[in-house]
Amino acid sequence: MIIEFIKMNGYGLYVWLSFSIVLFSCAVFYLKTKKTLRKYENDFLVELQKLSVEEKNKALGNSKVAQQILAANSKMN
Amino acid sequence: MFKFFSSTSIYSLIHKLINFINSIFFLILIIGLTFALVLSPPDYIQGDSVRIMYVHVPAAWLGLACFAFITFLSIFNFVFKIRNFYFINKSIAPIGLLFTCLAIVTGSLWGQPTWGTWWVWDARLTSMFVLMLFYVFYISAFKLLDKEETIVKVSSTIAIIGSINLPIIKYSVEWWTTLHQPASIKIAGSSSVHPAMLLPLLVMLLVFLLYGALIFLMKYKTEIIRIKKKNIKRI
Repeated sequence: MIIEFIKMNGYGLYVWLSFSIVLFSCAVFYLKTKKTLRKYENDFLVELQKLSVEEKNKALGNSKVAQQILAANSKMN
Repeated sequence: MFKFFSSTSIYSLIHKLINFINSIFFLILIIGLTFALVLSPPDYIQGDSVRIMYVHVPAAWLGLACFAFITFLSIFNFVFKIRNFYFINKSIAPIGLLFTCLAIVTGSLWGQPTWGTWWVWDARLTSMFVLMLFYVFYISAFKLLDKEETIVKVSSTIAIIGSINLPIIKYSVEWWTTLHQPASIKIAGSSSVHPAMLLPLLVMLLVFLLYGALIFLMKYKTEIIRIKKKNIKRI
């Protein structure tokens, strides 16, 4: 029964290949996008650390985005 | 009016939406795949090869929808000069290209057992190929040009010219004799797809929509961080 399901009456190669290509491409694209996002978040934090204490406090005080990136990074660590 | 589109107010919403989609995505994917590969019946003519429809059709629809959306925002950006639309378009384009490529590849894999050929230069297939080329040109504008103003002009021009291809894709099966079958599902009018196949198709469309939204949100978030990083001393 499992063999029949895999063979799909002779169309198995086309069906499984189609679904595999879609799932694989989408997974690779997702991981690549996630990696880029992490890289930019880390780069942002590195830039933030380079600022003087006064500049850093000003940036964190004025920017909700900076606060959230810092908070998200603290959670991950 | 457009305060909602400011990057700061959108950023926290994006974070919540990404978490929400991540929490439900795999459940809906499993349901969609179970329907598509196990529960839906084979077609009386095409047999089990019809299951390719559940990935081919949503990919093609979303490939077209992304380009239509890009064109709409490009025109809007041309008139109102809303900078966030530039970033939205930049984030959507790769998703549209991915879906268009997947539609072409899965269509080819469906064509071989159904028509006896992987590819034929008929109106529908050729117009989809042209759409893929427009996506490549559009994304290249962002990669190759430096000045944002120039990128907006060039990419918007590509999008507006490329949008002429959208009705050609839609009506190609009616205007010309093609191997590709006419539309089975119509926005206005009845669908010729049996509910037993329509339901899996709609679930898989939801899976593709959620996936596209997830990638878009991640890419858009990346763009916001990139801009904030660039202007970190001016925050």
